[in-house]
Amino acid sequence: MSDKFHSEIAETKQRVLAMGHLAVGMLQEAMEAMKEHDPDRAARVKESKKKLSDETNALEEEMYRLIALYQPVARDMRMIACSLRVVSSCERIGRYGKDIANVVISTAPDTRFLDLVPALSLPLMADEVIDMITDSLVAYETGDIGLIAHHSERDDRVDALRHTIFRDGITYMMEDPRTITKCTNYLMVARYLERCGDHACKIAEKVHYMVTGEQIEIR
Amino acid sequence: MSETAIIQTSDLNLWYGENNALTDISVTIPDRRVTALIGPSGCGKSTLIRCFNRMNDLVGSCRIAGRIDFHGNNIYAKEADPVEIRRKIGMVFQKPNPFPRSVYENVAYGPRVHGIDDRKLLDMIVEQSLRNAALWEEVKDRLQDSAMGLSGGQQQRLCIARTLAVEPEVILMDEPCSALDPIATSKIEALIDELKKRYCVIIVTHNMQQAARVSDYTGFMYLGRMKEFGETKQIFEHPEEELTENYITGRFG
Repeated sequence: MSDKFHSEIAETKQRVLAMGHLAVGMLQEAMEAMKEHDPDRAARVKESKKKLSDETNALEEEMYRLIALYQPVARDMRMIACSLRVVSSCERIGRYGKDIANVVISTAPDTRFLDLVPALSLPLMADEVIDMITDSLVAYETGDIGLIAHHSERDDRVDALRHTIFRDGITYMMEDPRTITKCTNYLMVARYLERCGDHACKIAEKVHYMVTGEQIEIR
Repeated sequence: MSETAIIQTSDLNLWYGENNALTDISVTIPDRRVTALIGPSGCGKSTLIRCFNRMNDLVGSCRIAGRIDFHGNNIYAKEADPVEIRRKIGMVFQKPNPFPRSVYENVAYGPRVHGIDDRKLLDMIVEQSLRNAALWEEVKDRLQDSAMGLSGGQQQRLCIARTLAVEPEVILMDEPCSALDPIATSKIEALIDELKKRYCVIIVTHNMQQAARVSDYTGFMYLGRMKEFGETKQIFEHPEEELTENYITGRFG
């Protein structure tokens, strides 16, 4: 296979990374907007959605083209197989960012209970999840699987945080039923963040396969 | 591997004059499977399959050390009969090489040499061999026509039929498709898939996709050594050797 092919897959990898950073950026911005109660900032997150889905489709097409034209094998094949999964997981992560932005926009008119977001540990959970995704992407870029070695334990912490948030949320709602609308939305956000953590693990599994050829399950 | 071995080499070395063309090859070829040998030009893969039916005997400067066992018997032992070995271990070459005779005579030639002269029996062998080579339907009405009038792909299948006619156990193929167009190639590949139900097939190919498609086991050779041998799926998905990986992904060679 030609150098042309290898320069094309290197270029594709850079585009996948850029798309991954766009998706994490959407999640991160949505959470900032949530902390700041800033619906304008949330609205800007939603503007990225079209770019995200266009780039997802374009990258998928590009990888199908590479497979059709070059029939890659071994590490090239593993890199493309992994990249396809990175792209679909990152698209989901970006869309959860958009969903969180929607929560910020829909809860914005209500200025009561502004301290519920930090009280429910949502920023803490978001930081953990975003770190996991970032480490998965850096491992994808560099092949350093040391970065994803502890994803299982980190995902356990994220799951535990979701349970905590759920129980805290129920407590707030029982104490003061006026918080029910906000809390219910925030419980959804915790669910979205947990799913994003799962996608970070999914990416990590595929990066592990790309680097070592071995399929693992991170639970 | 949980397969029945048919050919086994142990510390096989081969020299052409001073040139050590094969070095310490120890490999086990399973029966009723397709084994592909890949590697850059000059790596020794053709030399290796020529050893399997003693074709290198004909090269004056060639010297061999080590063993090649066929069903546990060393084919280079003094008492081994090269004619019998070549009957049991047939070969198909890169360029189709039918005899300039009729289609029928091409297939009947081998059995005749081995002493069969009953016309009915010969007819049966010719038909069965041509059927097994997936050629019967195309030539049954022109058995007496010259084989030279067949297309390249048909000629190659005729050569396979000629090999099958003497009831071999192993079929060696040295680049059997490199002189054929894609359609003829896919017919040969489909045929190889059929043949492995009854025979051990060993194929040398430059076409890596072909090796990946048709074989169950793949051996990667480099500079006269067997660098890696294993299941084709594993070799093409995740080879153990860096060198194999670099070769099959086109990073050298």
